[in-house]
Amino acid sequence: MQVLNWFFRTKGDDVRTRAKDRMRLMLIHDRLELPPDRLASLEEELIAVVSRYFEIDRDTTRFDLQQYERRAALVANFPLLRSKS
Amino acid sequence: MSGRVIVVTSGKGGVGKTTATANIGVALASTGASVALVDMDIGLRNLDILMGLENRVVYNLVDVVEEKCKLRQALVKDKRLPSLCLLPAAQTRDKSAVNAEQMKKLSDELKTMFDYVLIDSPAGIESGFQNAIAGASEAVVICTPEMSAVRDADRVIGLLEARKEEIGQYRLIINRIRPQMVKSNDMMSVQDVLEILSVKLLGVVPEDDEVIVSTNKGEPLSGGENVRAGQAYRNIAQRLKGEEVPFLDLDSLNATWLSKVVSFFNPTARV
Ligand SMILES: Nc1ncnc2c1ncn2[C@@H]1O[C@H](COP(=O)(O)OP(=O)(O)O)[C@@H](O)[C@H]1O
Ligand SMILES: [Mg+2]
Repeated sequence: MQVLNWFFRTKGDDVRTRAKDRMRLMLIHDRLELPPDRLASLEEELIAVVSRYFEIDRDTTRFDLQQYERRAALVANFPLLRSKS
Repeated sequence: MSGRVIVVTSGKGGVGKTTATANIGVALASTGASVALVDMDIGLRNLDILMGLENRVVYNLVDVVEEKCKLRQALVKDKRLPSLCLLPAAQTRDKSAVNAEQMKKLSDELKTMFDYVLIDSPAGIESGFQNAIAGASEAVVICTPEMSAVRDADRVIGLLEARKEEIGQYRLIINRIRPQMVKSNDMMSVQDVLEILSVKLLGVVPEDDEVIVSTNKGEPLSGGENVRAGQAYRNIAQRLKGEEVPFLDLDSLNATWLSKVVSFFNPTARV
């Protein structure tokens, strides 16, 4: 959740934007029957795996969900600094 | 004749299903189409009151299903609009009094008699909902721009999607929009809700005191041409008939109410 909340805090902090952002997040979880902390733990695991092979730039790592019509897609972007030996 | 069986549903209660069923029914019948309104909210009979027909109810839907009377005997004719009939719900029974198979049979019979069969459904997604959608080939999903209503609408849409073969299409009505609150960014807009639900829009009905006035009179659409909600229901009826009617832009108050078209829907909206 934390990760997504960070991502969602985009334009404006008005009630309407907050309702919309909470709504999207809620429906993605509803539709996938996804428990609230599942995504955060997936991110941790993926980072751990990728980190065995690469040093990654944690500051610019992107990990979020996009909506395509009524489907969600997981979009991860791990900028690589160098490979590990 | 093979009419269209359209179920009006929402998940959440109190969002305007019964009001919409009554108003759309009257609007359709005013165009000359024959319409049956079916109250499937068994145990919580309402549609007869909104239609001002409560004193003329003799038999009800459960009586028909239990073969205590003929379908024609249970249909209450609206004297103001001869092509409009109501099939009332039973007030003293509960949802378990009928099953999906019986509802399917009833809908099949009604669609041989009417151009449109509008089914008003109960709140929830349990058996009452399943019964209401059993004979339908189309659905109208209603929500208000509130989070809980949108969430429940999404759940209903998911269930309708799972029955694509029976329910060929479903469209959304967003009810009780308050342009002033959208404008001050205190409420989700029509576009917001459409983006989130990713569903086709059938209509937008503003919050309007006249809805309550006409309900109290038992005369849907009685306010005439100048009632905004009434106009919205008439537009919905025309869209159901397949006519292209521009959407009224309630999100923008700068423009006059009638002058703009809602621009909607960005399918790749970011989540
Ligand atoms: N567009 C509207 N403007 C104002 N009041 C409305 C509107 N639509 C519905 N209502 C009111 O909301 C309440 C619930 O409506 P109803 O149609 O009974 O909901 P449901 O059948 O979904 O439970 C009623 O009091 C009705 O008059
Ligand atoms: Mg109702």
